[in-house]
Amino acid sequence: MSALFKRQASSRAISVWLIALLVALVATIQIRSQAEVERSFAGTDTTSLAFLIDNLHRANDSLQAETADLTQQEATLQSGGDTAASQVLTDEANRLRAAEGLVPVDGPGVVLVVNATGLGALDLQDALNNLGIGGAEAIAVNDRRFVVGVPIEQTQGGVTVGGALVPVPWTISVIGDANRLAQAADLMTQSLRADRRVREATYRVEADVVIRAVVSERPFVYGVAP
Amino acid sequence: MSRRRVVSIFVVAAVAMATGFLVAGQAKVQLLTPSNQVARYQALVRSVQELEASNADSRQKIAALRAQIDALEAAAAQRSASTQALQSKVADLRARAALTPLSGPGVEIDLADGVPGPDSTGGSGYQVNFKDVQDLVNLLFAEGAEGIAVNGHRITPLSYFSGSGGEVIVDQGPPINAPIKLQAVGNRTRMEAALDDPSVLPDIRAREVQFQLQVSFSGGPDYSLPAYDSSLETSHVSPL
Repeated sequence: MSALFKRQASSRAISVWLIALLVALVATIQIRSQAEVERSFAGTDTTSLAFLIDNLHRANDSLQAETADLTQQEATLQSGGDTAASQVLTDEANRLRAAEGLVPVDGPGVVLVVNATGLGALDLQDALNNLGIGGAEAIAVNDRRFVVGVPIEQTQGGVTVGGALVPVPWTISVIGDANRLAQAADLMTQSLRADRRVREATYRVEADVVIRAVVSERPFVYGVAP
Repeated sequence: MSRRRVVSIFVVAAVAMATGFLVAGQAKVQLLTPSNQVARYQALVRSVQELEASNADSRQKIAALRAQIDALEAAAAQRSASTQALQSKVADLRARAALTPLSGPGVEIDLADGVPGPDSTGGSGYQVNFKDVQDLVNLLFAEGAEGIAVNGHRITPLSYFSGSGGEVIVDQGPPINAPIKLQAVGNRTRMEAALDDPSVLPDIRAREVQFQLQVSFSGGPDYSLPAYDSSLETSHVSPL
């Protein structure tokens, strides 16, 4: 009787130990995996992730639109003869000239006016970059065409765009998706108005913004394209 | 069983139940809430990963389509002199729009995060940010760069930079973090002289001192830049 009681007691003790061990193991794994996941996202809050997702959605939409355009071009080239090829090439040349700022352009967009003392080249560079994020497809500052590659510099006389002085007030004409540009312009002008150096920061949406200024074509001197 | 013993059993049972509820409640607060947060994080990160995979896939497709279109245009150009002239003009325009690879002499710049320290700019001054990349790109173009790539992503006439903290996004690409490498093809002598000039890039220079932000560059006789592999969106603009 006593031996049976002892056996039962020891098997109960083993069961208790096994359960305790299992609970400890599961708890450890759970806590460790949580800590691991949290460590991998250290410094990234949900707002940043949501912002990133929004950006990636927009980027992917844009990439898919480009893929559709290119697929169309490819189909036209495959199905047509020389006339089709000439048409595709002419359209592409026009599109690239517009993107590179080589021809006068028009389209929907916004016109911003910024009048301030003490704003420098970096402020203008930031403003134009913000408009690029907002979907700008063509930009001119005080009738000077700007594309990435045209330097914005600070000189003693003030800010220059492509070597030409652009004194304040800056009139920034932008062509692109008018809704997106209006949102970007709204945020920019709000932020600028909070700056004590800024006397005026306004924008208007226009159905047809005309940009006549062009960038002069620069051949490659050092670079070699295949 | 005495009445006293029955009461004491009930008291022990009640205390055990109360303890059980307290422990369960505490566990709910301390474990379940973080696990919900983790689940939300995981869902968001999964979304980011899926979108990044789709992004990379689209960019590969775009690169492949552009190569196929090039080949078809070249074939068409062999059949007609006027198409050939047009194709040559388009090739030239594509090269300047960064849609084709570019090689030549230039410089290579490496940017890496510094060491965290007391910071009046919200604690991210030690990190490489998108404005650093934007300032460098602007400087390099001003000093004779003919083509620039940021971590292998070509800069086009319509490129833009964004991001928050130490995250840098160029155009429609995925976010990149330091270390970041810029390669520029163009006037190597002018670019090297500008990068050596302590008066340029004042913000970066100040953070090199304050946070040991790491900026190094070297020149070389032959760098190869890849073609731009994203969208050059111009659907709202029309030539006059």
